[in-house]
Amino acid sequence: MSVSKTVLCIEDDRFIGEMYVRSLKKAGYDVDWVVDGNDGLITARNKPYDVILLDQMLPERRGSEILEALRGGAEDLIPNSKVIVLTNFEQDDASRTEMQKHADAYLIKAEITPKKLIEIIQQLDALPPAA
Amino acid sequence: MAVDKMPRLIRDFWPVFQRGAMARIILTQIVIIGVVAAILILTNTLPITSMVLWAVIAALFVLGLVRGLMILGFSARPAKDLLTAVIHVAGEPTDKAFPNPNDKRYERNGFKVALQTIYELSGKTESIEPAPDTTQPSTNLATVATPAPTINSDSLKAALDSTNCGFVVLNHERKVTYANKAAPIHIDAENISTLSLNFNGKDTLEAWLNDCDEHAVHAEHIWTRIADRLPDEEGRRFFDVIATYDKGSTSETILTLVDRTSTYDISEQDLDFIAFAAHELRGPITVIRGYLDVLEEELDTVLQPDQHELFRRLTVSANRLSGYINNILNTSRYDRRHLKVHLAEDTLAGIYDTIKDDMELRAHAQNRLLSVNIPADLPTIAADRASISEVLGNLIDNAIKYSNEGGAINVTAAVKGDFVEVSVEDHGIGMPGNVVSNLFQKFYRSHRSRETVAGTGIGLYISKGIIESHGGNIAVRSEEGRGSTFIASLPIYSTVAAKLATGDNSNEGLIEHGNGWIKNHSMYRG
Repeated sequence: MSVSKTVLCIEDDRFIGEMYVRSLKKAGYDVDWVVDGNDGLITARNKPYDVILLDQMLPERRGSEILEALRGGAEDLIPNSKVIVLTNFEQDDASRTEMQKHADAYLIKAEITPKKLIEIIQQLDALPPAA
Repeated sequence: MAVDKMPRLIRDFWPVFQRGAMARIILTQIVIIGVVAAILILTNTLPITSMVLWAVIAALFVLGLVRGLMILGFSARPAKDLLTAVIHVAGEPTDKAFPNPNDKRYERNGFKVALQTIYELSGKTESIEPAPDTTQPSTNLATVATPAPTINSDSLKAALDSTNCGFVVLNHERKVTYANKAAPIHIDAENISTLSLNFNGKDTLEAWLNDCDEHAVHAEHIWTRIADRLPDEEGRRFFDVIATYDKGSTSETILTLVDRTSTYDISEQDLDFIAFAAHELRGPITVIRGYLDVLEEELDTVLQPDQHELFRRLTVSANRLSGYINNILNTSRYDRRHLKVHLAEDTLAGIYDTIKDDMELRAHAQNRLLSVNIPADLPTIAADRASISEVLGNLIDNAIKYSNEGGAINVTAAVKGDFVEVSVEDHGIGMPGNVVSNLFQKFYRSHRSRETVAGTGIGLYISKGIIESHGGNIAVRSEEGRGSTFIASLPIYSTVAAKLATGDNSNEGLIEHGNGWIKNHSMYRG
């Protein structure tokens, strides 16, 4: 079975979003890209993605709110997805801790390149699903 | 004889000196009358039986003695007064009165200035009482014994409470014995006042007083930009603190706190601006770094070797820019006491691996020979991966900047006590001693480097902040013209693991301020 892995990219910056989408597609991933927080939450709930790339500073709904809605409740709504928080914004520690609790990785966008991002996705893939 | 014993106190000197001088006067007088008598007798001017002879000798002895003692009294008077003044200044118990500089006699003969100088040098001017005969007010404001207007202690207290300058008095046990209203004082349930000031790093009041106890009699120290509360607390104020220490005095330490909140608060906002601007800069850098990476790979086959080199330069520049932005951000956090390190068990080699490609690229692009030798069997350290890679990046970047084309840069590591020490050695231009001592200050750039090498002057400042936040230390050895070696130490994980476990994995136990955490050891942090 060689179904390609699915990735949801929630990113409002066009340049950055296009960059990730382009590289991920080239690497064989099946990528959906949404630019605002509301769409992001709806899309993430409607389709089981393998990986969700989540920005923090988003229109309509912050990344942290989306994560809270997906994983903050009693039931994990996306048990089979890996969530990678991607941000350039320096969050205060409290909200960052809160996000890290529900995320599988937390990265500063300026510190990584698409190549590196793909490496990280592969690393996370190799890990067993979150308990 | 008193000469057998060396005088222990200053006041013991004068009686000894006086006895010696009087003995000399008497002895010389005896010699004089002996010589005179001998001349008179031998020349047969007066026979030895003559009453006149004895009368002359007696008169000569008595008059000479009186004259000698008068001259002694007159000429030794200034010395005696100076000595009395010194005795008082030294704080020796004495029943002699202070020589009063306002005494008419001293005013007339100009000795007043000498006395004033002694009192001023001692800094004890306030304890000198005006003499009762000083009726006319002195015109000289600097005069030590100008009669102070009598101040009612209640009105003085009211005046001190109405100023926004804080005054705090500590006794020799360092307990607060007085504090005016403006002073940042915390009063606990048992009504004990304590000073609430958050000093920066190791330069605390406590440390300074410890130093004073050991080494100083009178001392003064100034701290700037000291806050009384943590960053997020209401009503936070900033002070410049001036301390004077006077050993043995009932008010041993007096603190004057100048409220500078309005000045320093603005710079707080500046720091917010810096942090905000830095975030904005990260967006474009993400795209530049990302596409450079993608493009170089995609164009691999069509690019000429020299074009590859251009790509490398672009990548190196973008990476450095990204590093500088992190420095700026962390500095702004560190200055606001917001810098938090998330300590986790890690290996130095593992941390270096995250920046290895970037460092090799930088060294290669600038034609330096970077050799890194971090033994694989080093013990694990307690480190914040992102912060320590920033420090290593800064040190290697500096080594590249301040060395010459083709120069070798050696990165090595070894265990030293409870720490792992990592050294970054270059064979570049080095620094003279006066530069080394200022090196870790914010915005410090040596005169020479300002002219020849670009930089912000915060790289080493924040590196020091980060290393110290880990409980480690950073130091430098340098020789002008021969190069520099920077050495950073980080605690071995096993030596601090217990502390980390009890403190929510925070580094609170390790450092004075900052309270980091780690929630997830396996969390991937870029």
